[in-house]
Amino acid sequence: MNTGLHVTIDRLGSASHTLVQGLRLAVPAGEILTLMGPSGCGKSSVLAAIAGTLACVPEGLQPLQLAGRVQLNGRDLTHLPTHLRGVGLVFQDALLFPHLSVAGNLLFAVPGHCPQAERQARVTQALQEADLVGFGERDPSTLSGGQRARVALMRALLAEPQALLLDEPFSKLDAALRAQLRPWVFAHVRERGIPVVLVTHDEQDVADPQRVVHLRATEESPTHV
Amino acid sequence: MSLQVGAPATDRQAVNFLWPALLALVAALPMGWALWAALVQMADVSAWQALWADPQTWRAWGMTLWTGLASTWLVWWSVARLLAHGFIRQKLAKWLPHVPALLATPHAAMAIGLVLWLSPSGWALRWVSPGLTGFEAPPPWPTTQDPWGLGLILALWLKELPFLLWVAATQMQREDLRRRWQAEYAVAQTLGHTPMQAFAQVVWPQLAPRLRWPLLAVLAYGLTVVDMALIIGPASPPTLAVLAWQWLGDADLALQAKGVAAAGLLTASMAVLALGAVAVLRVGLPWPGRMSWIWSAVGVACFMAYGAVWFALAVGSVSGVWPFPQVWPSLWTGDAWAQVMTSARTVWTTLGLAVASASLCLVWSMAWLESASHRWQQLLRPAWLLPLVLPSVLWVLGLYSLALQWRQEGQWLGLCLAHAVMVLPYVLLALEPAYRAVDPRQAAVVASLGHGRWRYLVRIKWPLLKRAIASAWAVGFAVSVAQYLPTLYVGAGRFATVTTEAVTLAAGGQRTLMSAYAVLQMFLPLLAFAVAAALGRPRQFEKIGTMKDRT
Repeated sequence: MNTGLHVTIDRLGSASHTLVQGLRLAVPAGEILTLMGPSGCGKSSVLAAIAGTLACVPEGLQPLQLAGRVQLNGRDLTHLPTHLRGVGLVFQDALLFPHLSVAGNLLFAVPGHCPQAERQARVTQALQEADLVGFGERDPSTLSGGQRARVALMRALLAEPQALLLDEPFSKLDAALRAQLRPWVFAHVRERGIPVVLVTHDEQDVADPQRVVHLRATEESPTHV
Repeated sequence: MSLQVGAPATDRQAVNFLWPALLALVAALPMGWALWAALVQMADVSAWQALWADPQTWRAWGMTLWTGLASTWLVWWSVARLLAHGFIRQKLAKWLPHVPALLATPHAAMAIGLVLWLSPSGWALRWVSPGLTGFEAPPPWPTTQDPWGLGLILALWLKELPFLLWVAATQMQREDLRRRWQAEYAVAQTLGHTPMQAFAQVVWPQLAPRLRWPLLAVLAYGLTVVDMALIIGPASPPTLAVLAWQWLGDADLALQAKGVAAAGLLTASMAVLALGAVAVLRVGLPWPGRMSWIWSAVGVACFMAYGAVWFALAVGSVSGVWPFPQVWPSLWTGDAWAQVMTSARTVWTTLGLAVASASLCLVWSMAWLESASHRWQQLLRPAWLLPLVLPSVLWVLGLYSLALQWRQEGQWLGLCLAHAVMVLPYVLLALEPAYRAVDPRQAAVVASLGHGRWRYLVRIKWPLLKRAIASAWAVGFAVSVAQYLPTLYVGAGRFATVTTEAVTLAAGGQRTLMSAYAVLQMFLPLLAFAVAAALGRPRQFEKIGTMKDRT
C-alpha cells in the first residue's frame, strides 16, 4: 500500500516552548516535498519528529515532545523506535563514521536480510552510482565535501528506506557544487519511488515548485548550539 | 542523551529511570556507608579534647596547610602558564601522548626517586663532591624530610602538575571545543589582541571552570597525602595526615581515637578550603600575569626531573656498595631483583587488584554515562568525585568499618571494593569528556539505517571511543597500583603490593630493594598505558595517492 507519508503535527515543542503547531504534510511516493523557513523555525525538528529522533539532542537541551501522528504507507509510526520506522535521514554534515572505510560505511547500511554474497555487490554498485569506484578502502576524512555528501546519500539509500529525509543536504557546499549535486540527488531519490522531505532555507534547492511548505518562525527562537 | 530513540514516552521514562537508579545505588551504597561509618566514629568528645591538648597537633596542622596550599598554588600557576604556552604554540597535541608516562609514575616512586637525588648522600651532592664542596662524607643537612616541608612541596608539585595538565589538555583537545576555541581565539586576535591576551580573555575563562574538580583533587591530595609525606615530608612534627595515620596504627585505643579525631580535623580543613576555592572559582580565576620564556623552562625542567627520577631508581635498584663521594656504585648487584622475583606473589596481588578494580569501575562508568540522563549525571557527579576531595585517611577509616561489617576485612573482595571506591572518580573523569563529545546525530543516523541500540554501541560508539575507554582503564589501573592506605588498612596487612613494600622499605632506608620496588611500582602502570595505547590505536587506512575526482 503506497499511500505515501502523512504527518500531522498538533504541537511540537518543549514543555515551555511551542515550536510548530497545526502542520499537515502529505507526500506521495516518488515526490519530493520541500520544507522552507528561516533558522530556528523548527524545520529540522519536524524531520526529527518524522524519524523519531527527538531524543537525540545535544547535552543540556530539552528534548522536544510531539503531539501528532506520523503515517507511512498506512503504517502508524508515531510510537515506533527509529530503527523500525524505515525512514532514512541525511544531514548537512555527512556524518560518515570516521573509523570505517568508505565501503565500510556503505556496508554498515546494507540490511541484515540481504544474503551475504550479495552485500558486497550492493556496495560496489553504490560506489559506481556515486562515481566513486576505487574509493572503497579510503578513509572518509580524505574525501571532498561533494564526495562525502554522495556517500551519505548512498548509505541512506542502501538501507532500503521507505521514506527519506534530507536535512539541508547542500548547505555546506559551494554554489557550483550544489548545482551539480542537486539533480544527481533528486534523480536518485525519485528513482526509488519513495516519499522524500527536503529541508532547506535556499530557494534554489526547491525540488518541486508544486510541493513547497513554508514554516514561519515562532516569536521566540530556541537556542541552538 | 537518551538512547531509547523514539520509544514511547512512558516506556522510555520507566527504562531511563530503572538502570541509572540501580547503578547509582550500587556505587552510592559502599561510599555512603563508608562515609557514615567514618563520621560516626568521630563523635567522641574526649578524643577531640586529647587532640586539642596535644602540642603536636597545631604544628602538624600548620605544616599540612603550608605544604598543601603552597603545592596547589604552584601547580595551578604553572599549569595555567604551560597551557597558554601549549595552546598558542600549538604544542598540546604533541605533549599529550607523553603525559600518561608522567601520570603513571606513582607518588611513592616519585618521592623515593627524589630522595635518591636530594638526600645528603644523594646524587646531587655526589656529582659536585668532593670537587666543588670538599665533602668527603655526607654533610649533616636536612635536605630530605626537611623541617620546612620543601621536599614534600617539590614532590607534590612534580607529581600533581602532569595530572592537572592532562585533565586540562584532554578538555582542550576535545574535537568540538578545540575547534570552537581556536576560532574564537583567532577572532580575538583580529580584534587587535595579542595571542596571550586572546588566550587569557577568551579561552581561559571557558577552561578554568572545567578544572574546578581536578583542582580540588590536587588540593585534597596535597593536604592529605600519607605515603609521599612518610618518605619525603618532615618528620617531627609530620603533617597532620601522617600523624593521624601513626595514631590510627597504634595499639593504644586512646591514641586510635585521637587519630580518628585528627582525620576529622583534616576533613573539616579540607571542606573549609574547598568551599573557599569554589567561591574563588565562581568569581572567576585571576589570570596569572604575563607570559615569559621561564614557562618553557619549567615544562622542560618538569620532564627532566621525571627522567632523573627514573634513572636514579633504575641505578639505585642495581647498586651494591656505593661509598659517598663516588658518582657511580663500586659494586653492581642483581640481588634486589632476585629478591623481588622470589616474592612474585606481591606482583600478582598488585596486578589482580588493579585489573579487577579498574575493570569494575570502567564497566560501571560506561553503563552510567550511557544510561543516566544529563540531569542525573549533573546531579550525582559530585557524589562520585567525593573520593578525590576527601582525605584518604577518612576513607580508610570508613572502608575499614564497612569491611568489618560486611565481613570482608582482610579479604580480597573487600580490598578490591576499597580500591574501586578510590579508582572510580579517576576513571569517570577520564571517560566523561569523550562521551560528551559524541555527536548525538550519529545515533540518529544509525537508527535511521535500521539498526538497534546495541548495534550502535558495538559497531559505532565504542569503536569511536576506544582510545578514551582504553586510557580510562589504564588510569584506573595506575591509581589502584599506587594505593597505599587502603591496601594496608582494609587488607589488614595481609596483602602486600609493590606500593606497600616500597613505602615500608623506604622507611627502613634499604636503598637497593626499595628502588627495585619503586621501579616495579612505576613499570606496572606504564605497562597498562602501553597496552591501552596499543588497543586504542586508531584504524589505519590504506595510503592514498593524489586526490583525483575532486567534485
